[in-house]
Amino acid sequence: MSDARDPTQFDPVVPNTGEEYEPLEVFPDDEDFDLRPGADSCYKCSTCDTNCPVAEVDDDFPGPKFQGPEQWRLKQTDDDYEIDPSISECSNCLRCDTSCPSGVNLAQMHNTARGEYVDNQMSKLSVKYIRNRILANYRTSAYFASMFPRTANFFMNFGPVRWAMEKVLHVPSEREFPEFATQTFRQWWSERGGAKVHSDDKKIAYFHGCYSNYNTPEVAKALVRIYEHFGYEVMVPPQKCSGTPMFANGMLDDARRHAETNVEELTAAIEEGADVVASCTSCSMALRNEYPELFDIDGIDDLAAHTYDAVEYLRIHTDVRQELEAAEVSGELEEEFAYHAPCHARNQGLERQAIELFRDLDGVAVEDVGESCSGISGTYGWKSEKYEKSMEIGSEMFEHMEESEGTTGMTECPTCASQMEHGTGYEVRHPLELIEAALID
Amino acid sequence: MAIESDVLVIGGGLAGLSSAISAAREGADVRLVTYKQSTLRQASGLIDVLGYTPDGEGPLTDPYSAIPELPDEHPYRLLGEDTVREAMSMFDEVVDTYRGGHTDTNALLPTYGGTVKPTARYPDGAAAGLASDDRDLLLVGFEAMPDFDAPHVAAHLEAAGVPFDVRGETIQFPGDLQDDAKVTRYAKLLEKNGPVEVRGRERGARDALVERLNPLIEDEKRVGLPAVLGDADAAGVRAALEAELGVEVFEVPATPPSLPGVRLEDRLFEAFDEAGGNFESGNPVVSFDGQNRVETVYVDKQSARIPYSADQFVLATGGLVGKGVESDREHVYEPIFDCHVEHSEDRYDWFDEAVFGDHPFAGFGVDPDTELRPLDSGGSPEFENLRAAGSVLGGHDFAAEKSGSGVSIATGYHAGRLAAQEAQ
Amino acid sequence: MASTPHVVVIGGGSTGIGIARDLAMRDLDVTLVEQGNLTHGTTGRMHGLLHSGGRYAVSDQASAKECIQENRVLRDIASHCVEMTGGMFVKRPEDSEEYFQKKLDGCRECDIPAEVISGEEARKREPHLAKDIDKAIAVPDGAIDPFRLVVANAASAEQHGARIETHSPVTDLLIEDGEVVGVEVEHKSGPGIRVHGTEGGTEEIRADYVVNASGAWAGQIGDMADVDIEVRPSKGVMTIMNIRQVDTVINRCRPKGDADIVVPHETTAILGTTDEEVEDPEDYPEEQWEVDLMIDTLKELVPMLDEARTIRSFWGVRPLYEPPDVGSEDPTDITRDFFLLDHEERDDLPGMTSIVGGKFTTYRLMAEKISDHVCEQFGIERECRTADEPLPGSEDFSVLRDYMEEFGLRSPVGRRSVERLGSRADEVLTTDDPNPVICECEGVTRAEVQDAIEQSGSDLNAVRIRTRASMGNCQGGMCVHRLASELHEANVDGETFDETVAREAWDELLQERWKGQRHALWGQQLSQAMLNYALHATTQNRDNDPADGEPIDFAAFDAGADASGEPGGADVAADGGERDGY
Repeated sequence: MSDARDPTQFDPVVPNTGEEYEPLEVFPDDEDFDLRPGADSCYKCSTCDTNCPVAEVDDDFPGPKFQGPEQWRLKQTDDDYEIDPSISECSNCLRCDTSCPSGVNLAQMHNTARGEYVDNQMSKLSVKYIRNRILANYRTSAYFASMFPRTANFFMNFGPVRWAMEKVLHVPSEREFPEFATQTFRQWWSERGGAKVHSDDKKIAYFHGCYSNYNTPEVAKALVRIYEHFGYEVMVPPQKCSGTPMFANGMLDDARRHAETNVEELTAAIEEGADVVASCTSCSMALRNEYPELFDIDGIDDLAAHTYDAVEYLRIHTDVRQELEAAEVSGELEEEFAYHAPCHARNQGLERQAIELFRDLDGVAVEDVGESCSGISGTYGWKSEKYEKSMEIGSEMFEHMEESEGTTGMTECPTCASQMEHGTGYEVRHPLELIEAALID
Repeated sequence: MAIESDVLVIGGGLAGLSSAISAAREGADVRLVTYKQSTLRQASGLIDVLGYTPDGEGPLTDPYSAIPELPDEHPYRLLGEDTVREAMSMFDEVVDTYRGGHTDTNALLPTYGGTVKPTARYPDGAAAGLASDDRDLLLVGFEAMPDFDAPHVAAHLEAAGVPFDVRGETIQFPGDLQDDAKVTRYAKLLEKNGPVEVRGRERGARDALVERLNPLIEDEKRVGLPAVLGDADAAGVRAALEAELGVEVFEVPATPPSLPGVRLEDRLFEAFDEAGGNFESGNPVVSFDGQNRVETVYVDKQSARIPYSADQFVLATGGLVGKGVESDREHVYEPIFDCHVEHSEDRYDWFDEAVFGDHPFAGFGVDPDTELRPLDSGGSPEFENLRAAGSVLGGHDFAAEKSGSGVSIATGYHAGRLAAQEAQ
Repeated sequence: MASTPHVVVIGGGSTGIGIARDLAMRDLDVTLVEQGNLTHGTTGRMHGLLHSGGRYAVSDQASAKECIQENRVLRDIASHCVEMTGGMFVKRPEDSEEYFQKKLDGCRECDIPAEVISGEEARKREPHLAKDIDKAIAVPDGAIDPFRLVVANAASAEQHGARIETHSPVTDLLIEDGEVVGVEVEHKSGPGIRVHGTEGGTEEIRADYVVNASGAWAGQIGDMADVDIEVRPSKGVMTIMNIRQVDTVINRCRPKGDADIVVPHETTAILGTTDEEVEDPEDYPEEQWEVDLMIDTLKELVPMLDEARTIRSFWGVRPLYEPPDVGSEDPTDITRDFFLLDHEERDDLPGMTSIVGGKFTTYRLMAEKISDHVCEQFGIERECRTADEPLPGSEDFSVLRDYMEEFGLRSPVGRRSVERLGSRADEVLTTDDPNPVICECEGVTRAEVQDAIEQSGSDLNAVRIRTRASMGNCQGGMCVHRLASELHEANVDGETFDETVAREAWDELLQERWKGQRHALWGQQLSQAMLNYALHATTQNRDNDPADGEPIDFAAFDAGADASGEPGGADVAADGGERDGY
């Protein structure tokens, strides 16, 4: 990764090219990733189970308490214990982790169990494994697609191709692949000449993630304009995938490789005085929660402590609330929105910030469609065997969206957005776009 | 710069929500922050005010009349009977899915353990199960749900001397669910009348359940089931079952995880939202700034500390179960503000030898003044703008008295109202 | 004398049950009586260490040699009760180098496989060892479940025709013409109190020979015949951690001292122990300092113990014995060897032998020697077969199964069940009925609980020791009522248990679980205890169970809005706001 520091070079990792893949020891140093405190803290109240969107639609899934502290405790008696295969039904929504009154680190317990399962019990030659690996490495596919976005947009959703994907890879043909932007955010950024505002003491390093770069650069552009409006110098360090889809598929080695680059690049920015912000709540959660829980990389705790959701950071450090109270939205976004809080926003305590922020903004109304999970959970809904389940989980959110006044959706998470579109046909916007519409001409 | 409000409530359980709603109704700008989910999801969802006196006298028919006789340090004594009544009225207004407000008299409800217990308010869904109603009763449990063994509960109720005949039957829930299916799975299937396979044919789960229940009913006019009858639309599920079965249907208040508790929590958050409150969850308050006044508290997000300022603060973090009161081998303490918690230095004085003895640990918590401000060891308020509500308060054994939810609602109501008034 | 001698064995601990099995396998007629449950005494109150002999390799080499020999036997005949964890004697910088060498030499002299490993290697095997451990000696220590072992021995004895009576304390010895001819027992069982198979009341059991294997209670039995048996009971604490901090037995390598061992036991780890002489094996103080000492001393070996959750502590009483002429002051100096007291030789009282002292690991060997002695009395020469014949459950079996396919169980639950049940797994777990997990902490299903009820009747404590149900982190908070429900209407040999029986067993188990938990009441376990208390008292109202107390005047309570003549239902509560002006 010696060229990772070159900001113009974008360097995706291609699955299985040049690198021999073999299950590595995930946690070489046991002490750093001790799951005992989690098992010690559980007092069996089962609050986690009441929050699990998968257990609600599928009784084959025994719920997070079993997958986490119970399984962990039971399997201590022998090294040969197998992880119950049901771990692969977990969608990694983390609602259990968000809910536990005893602070059990369920996310970490599930991620490690899943990693163990994939490493030791899942055939590396199985179609599911290969499909999961491709899905988890979305960034790689997106990288190639973005070279020829128009062709890719046509081709990825072209009937016969989708039929073949369904048959060969078990990728459900019902799903529509996200459209690739004709110009990526990074292309825009470099064409623009980088930051327009320079500041010594107000700097942020933007972790845009894959989606805002390849698919929704308008969100990324909104972020840049808003932060510049508040006098911040925006930095856009080189970066790779946050790792979320890889954790969710138990591919922790892939995730670690990406994490290493991200930690290195972002801590360099922190040293220059920047805080890190992300516009995708799964990305911010990966950087602040999962990284330190799963990996031991120099600077990883420092990165976690300096990472924020982009809107959260504005709430803490700027007058955004007051400015929005005084502002008004007209034009394209003068709308009623049906807002869905992504599970990964919920995990960071951000589930209500859009509602709160836009409560007094003239010209718009934002309605919370409730606490149900969208059901897509990143790559989860992109698997044929999970498609029905994913839609069943999402059905409550679809209903609530349809019951609400608005006909435009709003959420921070790109995959939730695609599920919302898929289930209701609504167009879905990001809160940053609305802030941009309110505060910037 | 900090995130600001007039009143900041720390804790999202029954006490925190009651105080947040009460403060918002007074017109204050209220924010509630809560670490994870509250113990409400572990509770039966019944609202007990007072079932037994601290001396074990009871079950009490009238919880209010016993208040003047309670020990001085009991939270109800600090509030007085009228405040407790006002608080219950607020609850009745806010939560329209509960009953019991028509009378001061306690109701007796069957428990999943087979006893009956005194309570002041109960969900609609439990109403037909009243043990003080003398109509015969049929209880039906599911094979794979060991928490509610209907024949055992029925036999136990009989031994408790209930004034009606009670039978228990066990059936298999239609659809051959996995043995470890979660309560939410049952609820969802019943609510959506979701497809299950019965003898090779796809059926609606609710329709199939009705078919299994029908032949079991003899002369009974009411049928009790485990508390899995729907989640968001429990009333709808019940109504559908009642229409098909021609009898009243009720749920027996549940063991954790408790859907009645979940439903109550949802309803209270909804009410707080309607009252214009802001809230967020998932991260703990870990520290604060201030000397005689609390100025700012800090919420920990992976070692990033997010500041929250307010004029008034309410501490509603729960007791030992909710971790608003913590302990180590030598100490019992309140972890955020380090408010004084009275306790013996010898931890072997914290408990009684008998499992249901008089346990000092059950009374661990902060002791407040009449304005519910926690007092230091010298008897002065720790902070002039910090009030406490719910199980973080000491001076009572809610489990023995059956007073937990009543104390949470009453002290929450009072603390929230005073905080809002002071902030304005 | 009848053609087959009838022997009564007093005491249902490892020694007594071992003797019963041995004699029954030699075709003698055996009755075993036990005052409580099997393992009621010392056996049920030990740390579960299967000694390699390393602990005695310096101080008592004869015992050490017996230990390693029996260690090998038990791995063979009781494989479903044993987990070969391996063990280490670890040396901290301040511990004596000289003693370390002595320990190593001692092990070698006693044929105990011993290997010196570096501190680094020790930490590689056990990552939670303190960073400043110098080095360690690795030995073949193991963990053994004493309950399972005794239950399997009992099952085997019964298969060979023995009669086992639990909850039957000996109230007197029958002595005729200066000879012991039997025992009088009181069966604390039968309808009305509790049900344990046999009707309640007193029974005289005549015998050709009596073996007193009552451990710490041996003196009390002796008193009934006016013979003096100077057992010196010595208590020791064991503190149970919620989960395993180590997967290997960790011993401190120093001459002697309290708090020097951590034993991984099933899902937990057990810290031990103290050694304090007590007067009465039934009544001695269980003290806070002992628990604190375990944590504060053993954290020198495993630092994370300081912050870890303990779920309970319990005390055991060693039935130490030394011949009257030795006179050790300190109980730690008393030998761990066993003594066979033939009362005919010793006290001129024929018909009875007492067995005192000894240790769990060598229970089978002791039983063999006593059985030889008993056979000698009758001039019988029959070979002991207990070292060769596997115990029920330990015949060939594999824990590696497809649990979902075969038993419909999640793999860790299935695996744990099969580890406990051994070769009985198929018989117990194969069922067409729903088989939900009853105890989630330990992964115990209904089928296993019902199997235990079939074996042990209405005693939920006996169900507990057979299955481990209620022995996990919630200490029965979530499952005790479920166990009571399993007992209710369970059918054992045509008899069903009614609600009263279930309620009493439920109360008893609640109290038993509370007893040990009191020593763990701080931090997480205090939070758990408060949750349990809230569930049992608030939600279940079990502390004021009306079935136990005064009749309630139901008519004095709210019979619902409709019944009170007010307008119906939800509306009343909904507009309660009319009462005052908001």
